[in-house]
Order: sequence, then C-alpha cells, then structure tokens
Amino acid sequence: MDIIRLEHTFPEVFARQDDLHSEVWRQDVTFEKGRYYLVEAGSGTGKSSLCSFIYGYRNDYQGMISFDGKNIRNLTPNDWVQIRRTHLSLMWQELRLFPELTALENVLIKNRLTGHKQKKDIRRWFEELGIADKLDTPLAQMSFGQQQRVAMMRALVQPFDFLFVDEPISHLDDGNTQLLTDIMVEEAARQGAAIVVTSIGKHMDLKYNKVIKL
Amino acid sequence: MIWKLLRQHISAMQLLGFFLANLFGMLIVLLAFQFYRDVRPVFSQRDGFIRNDYLIVSKRVAVMGFTSSTFSQREIDDLASQPFTKSIGTFKASQYKVSCSMGIEGVANFGTQMYFEAVPDQYVDTRDSLWRFREGDQVVPIILPRTYLAIYNFGFAQSRQLPKLSEGFVSMVDMTVLMRGDGKEKRMKAKIIGFSNRLGTILVPESFLDWSNREFAPDADVSPTRLIVEVGNPTDERIGQYVQQHGLDIDEDKLQAGKTTYFLRLVSAAVMAVGLLITLLSFFILMLSIYLLVEKNTRKLQNLLLLGYTPARVSLPYQLLTVGISLVVLALAMGLLWLCRTYYMQFLWSLFPTMEDGGLLAAFVLGLLLSLLVCLFNVLAIRSKVAHI
Repeated sequence: MDIIRLEHTFPEVFARQDDLHSEVWRQDVTFEKGRYYLVEAGSGTGKSSLCSFIYGYRNDYQGMISFDGKNIRNLTPNDWVQIRRTHLSLMWQELRLFPELTALENVLIKNRLTGHKQKKDIRRWFEELGIADKLDTPLAQMSFGQQQRVAMMRALVQPFDFLFVDEPISHLDDGNTQLLTDIMVEEAARQGAAIVVTSIGKHMDLKYNKVIKL
Repeated sequence: MIWKLLRQHISAMQLLGFFLANLFGMLIVLLAFQFYRDVRPVFSQRDGFIRNDYLIVSKRVAVMGFTSSTFSQREIDDLASQPFTKSIGTFKASQYKVSCSMGIEGVANFGTQMYFEAVPDQYVDTRDSLWRFREGDQVVPIILPRTYLAIYNFGFAQSRQLPKLSEGFVSMVDMTVLMRGDGKEKRMKAKIIGFSNRLGTILVPESFLDWSNREFAPDADVSPTRLIVEVGNPTDERIGQYVQQHGLDIDEDKLQAGKTTYFLRLVSAAVMAVGLLITLLSFFILMLSIYLLVEKNTRKLQNLLLLGYTPARVSLPYQLLTVGISLVVLALAMGLLWLCRTYYMQFLWSLFPTMEDGGLLAAFVLGLLLSLLVCLFNVLAIRSKVAHI
C-alpha cells in the first residue's frame, strides 16, 4: 500500500460545525509511504477518530478515505484482516492491551499471527526499553508508561506500510521517549514505511516531512 | 493464549446447566427411541413366520353351519379391491387323510390325526432354503402352532418323564406323516422349522400341498376357507367395518397387537418430543450463556479482531467448547442409555426369551445426528455473533 488519501473527510459529529479550522477535516490529505507525519491536535478535535476511521473500525464519517485509490468502505472483513496483518499498524492511545496476559504474551499474541519477529528480538527490545524484568509480569500490574512501551512493541511486530501511533509517549520521560523513538524509526526505516504520529503537546523528535494541524 | 483471554467470564454454572439439560434431553430422546425399537418386535414380530400386517380372515361359523364356509372367487375379488388391502392370498387345505407321529430319537411316539394347510410362499417369512418342497423330496418342512409345543411339553412329556423341548431343539423331534387317499399311501419325514402363534394350523409349503392334493385327492374341491390379507395399516377402522358387514372373522389378537403397537408408537413419539423439547431448551441455555460470554468479552474479542485475527479464529475457542460439551454429553447419554437398557432388557428377555437383540447402533446414529445438529447451530450462532462485534 503506497497512498492513503482523505477527501473531504470529517466526523459526522462535526457535520453541523461550519467553523472547522482544520488541515485534515473537510480537506484533501494524502499520506505517502516512506514519509513521516506529525498530526498536531488539541483535545476533542478528533485525533483518535482519525485513527479509527483509517484503521476501519469506525465509519461514522462523511467524505472518502481510500487506500491506493480504493474506497475503504468497500473493503470486506477479510480484506481488513489482511490489511491489519501486513499493511497498517496502529498503536492506540488507550493501548488496547490484554490485562490478563503478561507483557511478553501481549506482544507475542500479535507476533504469532504475523511471525514477523524472532522471540529473541522481542526480548532484546524489552531490554533496550528497560522493562526486561517485566517480561512475565501480568500487564495489569504495570504502570501506564510501561504499558505504552509494550503497546509500541506490539505495533512493530508485523509488516506494515503505514504506522499510526496515537499519543505514544504521553506517560514517558524524555530518556524513554528517545529509546522508544529509536526502535520505532529503526523498524519503520527497515520496512520503508510511513509513520504518522499524533500528539496534543509533547511529541516524538523525528525528522517530520510534514506537520499537519488537525 | 487466545483461550487464556477468552475463557474469562465463562460461567461454570451456566455450562453445567446446559450440560445437564442437554444430557437429559438427549437421554430421553435416545431412551424413548431405543425402548420403542426394543419393544416393538414383541408386538409386531412376535410371530416369526407371519408378519404383523397380515390378517387372517375366515367366515364366521353360523350356528347351524348351513351357509358355505368357503370363499367364492367373487368374495375374494371384493376383499382384494378394498382400499386397505395390499395383497391377498388363500389358504389351501389338504383334501386327504393325514396322521402323524412324534417322538424323540425314536422313543415313545404319540400320534394324531391331522391336516395340512398352505398359503402362498410370499406370506411365509422364512428363509427360502428352509421353506421349499420339490416333487420327489422325502422330507417336508412344516410350521406348527405354538400350542402344540405346549401340549407336548406340559401334557405328553410331563406324564412320560420325557425331556421338555425348547423351540431351539425342535430338530430333535422325529416326526413322521402318513398320507392316505385315492387308494394310495405314503409315509414321509417332516422337519419342524418353527412354531407360530398366529396360525392355528399346520402349515406346509404350497408346492407340497398342490402336489399331495393331486396325488391323494385329485377330484376334491379346493375352495379356500381362510384368506390371508396384507393390509397397509392393521388399525384401519374400515377393516373392522368391512368384516362386520360381511360376517367375517379376523384374528382379534392381531388387531390388538396392531393397536398396541400404534399406542406404543404414540407414547414413544410423545416422550421423544419431550426429549427434543428439552434438548432444544438446553440449546437455548447454551446460546444465552455463550451470548452473555461474548457480550462480557466483547472488548477482548474486538481487540483480537483489530489485531488481525479472523472472526473464524476468534470464534473457534467457543465453538470447540460447545462441540466438546456436546460430544461429552453424547458419550454420557450413550453410556446411561446402555445402563438403562441392560436393566429393562432383563425384564423383556425374561418375558420374551426369543426376542432378538437389535443393538444400540441406531440410537447411537440418532444421538450423533442430534449432537451434530446442536453443534452446527451453535457453531453458526457463535460465528454470526462474533461477526457482529
């Protein structure tokens, strides 16, 4: 997948708002593979909605979103399964991890589906991110900052053309932010993928090709 | 790992409820089915030689016996054309003198005057090789009324300290028949191939009777005195009406047995319906339970789907759970069925020692079908429920 295009797209809840000052909503926006984007937004401007529209689990929007020219409203459930395994990866703001599983299992549950990484690579990431001692800790017992690192690893254990990270570092200090950014950029570069970061304030230090105000 | 996630919120009590309800439903269905199969032969095939749906029709004997007791061709044709009649055959009687003597291994004969009758071979339900006579054969197969066995066992054998005979040992009986007529006489061996409740007569193959009548009574009139009628449904009311109007007799026992079988079928069907209803309800219990489970685990299921798991893969654990339970239920129901059956078959066998054992295969097939049906519905319902998350 090379291009994600939004044409005059906006959330239905915004339908009556005529004074939308956004570079995304009601505009034409294109995300291209291999480029890095920062979507800056105030809260309540529909940042997570944007991710959920593109990731295909909400469709309460007007306008059109297309992957390589194909309207995503026409995709079948099977298409979505394939896209989520091999083309699109999303790290949710609310993480969507499984509190019943251990940190490692939370990553493996995705990796088992894609077979993308070796177990030792994942363990190395845990070490690099400073949570190697939490490998077998149930996720429910970890802090939100630690969980964010687990969620990032889970987002990276798959082939992707576009990586969306929704508020990935809200609970991380600068040192951990840098570690996380390095791992993310390394993997995205290896795959030649695009990164789309959303942020309401603090954001990852990347060489963004484009900054968009939501 | 998926299972570790999805087993959350599984309610053991709900599954136990389904398990028990399904088990009882299944057991009731199978038990009713099996009992019907086991008991039916007692009523319908008690007589090994004349099938259940054959009625034996004779003319009612008038007080003074003036009216003819034989059937004319017109009367036979009229009966044959009735809607309840499937086919009709005539009894032929021997027109010469017969006497026979019986004993065991040459000892202590007892003899009696008797007669032969025959019906077309198609009405005699036995192996062809047993029921055959060709001119020149020295042995004739016969079927005796079961009362003869009782007379021998309780009257004759008892008073002479002879061994009693069970039906299995009839081949030990030496039986010789002596036929006389038209100035000729012939002695032949008879081979008892069985006993019948239904025919109060001594039955021989039709070919034998035709030959012997030609031989010993070439000029006699052979109008039939009794008819054998194959009917579609022995409980048909029109049979009774016809018989009444035309002054005929039919073997009442037979009709009674027909009615009993009908009643048995009715009761079995009712019990099976109850069993099916319980099975159906158990299915709904499981459905509700699974729906509740899916609702409680909606978030987990949704997250798995968002990670790229297919709906089929996500449904699988719950489907396997229900299929597993269903199979355990089937196995248990079969086990319990076997136990119950062993218990009641002891009674049946002591009442009807000659009853054949039909086995459990048919019930197993029925149970399997029922299980598969329940599984199929469950699998589809779970799949559609997950697909709608």
